[in-house]
Amino acid sequence: MRGITKQFPGVLALSKVNFEVRKGEVHALVGENGAGKSTLMKIIAGVYERDEGEMFFKGQPAHFANPHQAQAAGIATIYQELNQVPYLSVTENLFLGSEITRGMRLDWTAMHRKARELLAKLHLDVDPRIQLSKLGVGQQQMVEVAKALHQNAELIIMDEPTSSLSIREINDLFAIVRELKEQGVSIIYISHHLEETFELSDRITVLRDGRLITTRPVAGLDLNGLVRLMVGRDLSEKFAKEKATQGEEMLRVEGLNQGTRLQDISFSAYAGEVLGIAGLVGAGRTELVRAVFGADPIDSGKIFVMGKEVQIRSPQDAIRNGIGLLTEDRKQQGLFLKMNVRNNITMAVLNRLTSGLGTNRRKEIALAQSFIESMAIKASSQDQLAMNLSGGTQQKVVLSKWMATEPRVLIFDEPTRGIDVGAKVEIYRMINDLARQGVAIIMISSELLEILGMSDRILVMRGGRIRGVLTHEEASEENIMEYATGVEKESIDLFKHTKAE
Amino acid sequence: MSETTTSINQTTKAAGSLVRKLIASTGPLLVLLVLAGILWVLSPPFRTPTSMLLIGLEAAAIGVVAAGQTFVILTSGIDLSVEAMVSFSGVLAAVLIAGTNVAGGQIAFGIAAWQAILIALTAGALIGMLQGLLITQFQMNPFIVTLGFRGMLWGTALVWTRGAGINIHKDAFLSFLTGYINAGNLKIPMPLILALVIYAIVWFVLNHTKLGRYTYAIGGNETAAKLSGINVNGVKVIIYGISGLLAAISGILVMGRLQSGAYQNGTDMTLISVAAVVIGGTALSGGTGGIWGTLIGVFIIRVVQAGLVYLSAPSNAKDIVIGFIIVLAVALDVARRGEIPWLQRRVRKPKV
Repeated sequence: MRGITKQFPGVLALSKVNFEVRKGEVHALVGENGAGKSTLMKIIAGVYERDEGEMFFKGQPAHFANPHQAQAAGIATIYQELNQVPYLSVTENLFLGSEITRGMRLDWTAMHRKARELLAKLHLDVDPRIQLSKLGVGQQQMVEVAKALHQNAELIIMDEPTSSLSIREINDLFAIVRELKEQGVSIIYISHHLEETFELSDRITVLRDGRLITTRPVAGLDLNGLVRLMVGRDLSEKFAKEKATQGEEMLRVEGLNQGTRLQDISFSAYAGEVLGIAGLVGAGRTELVRAVFGADPIDSGKIFVMGKEVQIRSPQDAIRNGIGLLTEDRKQQGLFLKMNVRNNITMAVLNRLTSGLGTNRRKEIALAQSFIESMAIKASSQDQLAMNLSGGTQQKVVLSKWMATEPRVLIFDEPTRGIDVGAKVEIYRMINDLARQGVAIIMISSELLEILGMSDRILVMRGGRIRGVLTHEEASEENIMEYATGVEKESIDLFKHTKAE
Repeated sequence: MSETTTSINQTTKAAGSLVRKLIASTGPLLVLLVLAGILWVLSPPFRTPTSMLLIGLEAAAIGVVAAGQTFVILTSGIDLSVEAMVSFSGVLAAVLIAGTNVAGGQIAFGIAAWQAILIALTAGALIGMLQGLLITQFQMNPFIVTLGFRGMLWGTALVWTRGAGINIHKDAFLSFLTGYINAGNLKIPMPLILALVIYAIVWFVLNHTKLGRYTYAIGGNETAAKLSGINVNGVKVIIYGISGLLAAISGILVMGRLQSGAYQNGTDMTLISVAAVVIGGTALSGGTGGIWGTLIGVFIIRVVQAGLVYLSAPSNAKDIVIGFIIVLAVALDVARRGEIPWLQRRVRKPKV
């Protein structure tokens, strides 16, 4: 691929990226969230069309208008979330869309036979007639690989294939990948687990902010160097960060557990500070704040608000105790798109606005107006529907809803996702204002610059646990990534050693 | 990214949304006026005030049911039990008041009509709330739960009446509730007045109380409602209770007018109430619409039905027309949301 550019409205997702995969090569693609890995893969797989650039497959110019064409050409993709029908049999899944027929009838004998052959190639000892959902996740993944083989794929894209696999299953998968490689199949491997990419791949391509940073053979790289390549850049954005004076403890969480998603979480948030939560996707950050907010049940753990233990079993309990949550996905979980600005702002405080039988319209209008002015909400009137507002304005409306509850602790989950730069700066300023007024702020963000620029302290999570707590002064992109990916000094050295052998 | 996408969608959709808005807000009223106008021209007997009031009277019972259905559909639920509830509450009240079973036999000892009515209405509300509890606490599908209760309630009415009806003794209070009030030389049906009062109350609840706001919020975005600290399950239980209560009130109105509690009293009311709500502009997916639209929807259906009578259409054909209206209503609902792919113009990919 040469000079691939992809633009989404308002965002340059990929800029003049060159990318090449050789026959029989395992090529790892790494980068932070939002670096453009998925976009690049989706262009290869025919999900998106490129805006600029050329693509060649087996030396021929290639253009895939849809995933089907890419598959027909021999490119298979195994997505992070499996695209399978759990209630159909293994065979049915393998042949979905390419069933073998004899006349009008489905030829089950032939299909089961072929399925057995494919599974045997992958050393997968299962009866193809059983329902797919009866298999483990790892085996389901293998079925997906078998499907790719069945389609005679010459290039297989694997997007985070190990995220839900056990160690044994990962080893099996790696063995298969190596075997496929022997057979001349090329593999593009995307993973957040850097050790994996080292173990498996021949070459590594690093993307950052939609740009190609480098493509290098694994042999000349070490993990630390790779991390630096992934994140290293200047602080180009400015944050109006003022050093906060840490006030009294507003929220304390002790020994919080929730299945395997959250384990032994303890932390405190203080008045006047911004507590950042960093980590990769799937590290348990959103799960943690939802648990604290009472949106999901917890197995064990204590929550203290202003030193007093409280029972939080539902969002109502959380709000009563002065905790607010601005969710990651404001359209799906925060806004009432079909309702107007006023009703959105007052939704969480109608109790206070009800006098006698009905809601007090005058008070409601006054409250909404005060927020529209103080937050500079750009709406034509209070009656404008939320769905017709821009992303930044919508976020301000949701923020107003929570500020109306006069919270002591306000949690932001990815507060600036999908918001343009101007509005971002405004949101940062509002967060800082709130902190100065004595609200304890907890902020999840996948943007390292945002976390570094805004937080007084940073919790780094991985695998449902808090792996490190850094102060504003200690934190750097490198040490956050170290905690977030689990790449620590010793393991790097160890790895170098084995690699040298 | 999402921000720019929305703003672009806005401009391309602006023209379409204006048309949709017109359909949604004034559309139903316009349809009603046109239909009534056609009937006015074609049928002289329709032009009398008496016939208008008759349509009003007939609209009252189904209207009350549709008011409850409006609450439920606004939360993106559905209540299929209402027609059986109409029959059930009428039969229950009739049994309590006592009278003669058409199938033979007397129910000798009864209680006062107001007591019987109170019991029937309480039963309606409680059964509705029970359905709400099953839907929220067991995560059951409202379609199935209310369909099941439809069977149970209808069956109970059948068993109590032994497949016939209970003709009640004449009762002053019930006659007052379901009779007429003389205003000059016009006889205004009491059920119509009661229905309009109920509509006024429902309008107030939906527009000026927490419960109303939460109803819209749940239908618009249940997740956001939960995360805003709204007791979603509690509100839903109340709403199915309201639907049950209003259906029970309708049951009393029908029973009182017919002086008979029979299992057929509620026939067709579920489908018609849903159709009225949807014709009136409330989305089946919930979150938008309102009681004013439902009122218009009820009258549209009643005018069409009256039209069939005045224009001497064979009475057996009425089901065809009702069925057609229902399909049309759902088509309208989809069209309003702009979700019919082949009706949408392809939006060109924006270049930035």
